[in-house]
Amino acid sequence: MNNQPNRREMLNTINELSFSVLDIQLFLDTHPCDEDALAYFQECSNARNQALKEYAQYYGPLTIDTATASCSERWSWINDPWPWQEGGC
Amino acid sequence: MWNYEKRLQHPVKITQTNPQIAQIIITQYGGPDGELGASMRYLSQRYTTPYKEVAGLLTDVGTSVSEMFRLSPPPFPMVFPSA
Repeated sequence: MNNQPNRREMLNTINELSFSVLDIQLFLDTHPCDEDALAYFQECSNARNQALKEYAQYYGPLTIDTATASCSERWSWINDPWPWQEGGC
Repeated sequence: MWNYEKRLQHPVKITQTNPQIAQIIITQYGGPDGELGASMRYLSQRYTTPYKEVAGLLTDVGTSVSEMFRLSPPPFPMVFPSA
């Protein structure tokens, strides 16, 4: 289990990417033709989806879309920490 | 319409509780001037706006506002970093 990635680091990455996606999404609402912004959205969005999948494989799903990535742990959803608990984010 | 993500927009580390401040903060969520009302107004106004660009914007803004509830999850006991 030495090569298992750090949980907090993975969560931080997801949080950062999610913030980027949200922010560029709002920017695109008023600048829908900005090519740089569109490319940045695509880059962040892909990276976020990938990060969510990787997280799910090690520490359980954060979203319904990544639930299948960790389906071996049948009830990990309620056993893994909630965001307001220690270990959650 | 509403999808849950098991994470917060910004990480929260609970070190101590503060019911006094929690009482003030919770007024920012509910009530006539709270975030909950603001979120609902954005999301309601998009149904009748004549501009589709605005409907899209109201959807995103209304969603972002309701994200704020999840920023500090349980109103009771409200908790804050001590630093």
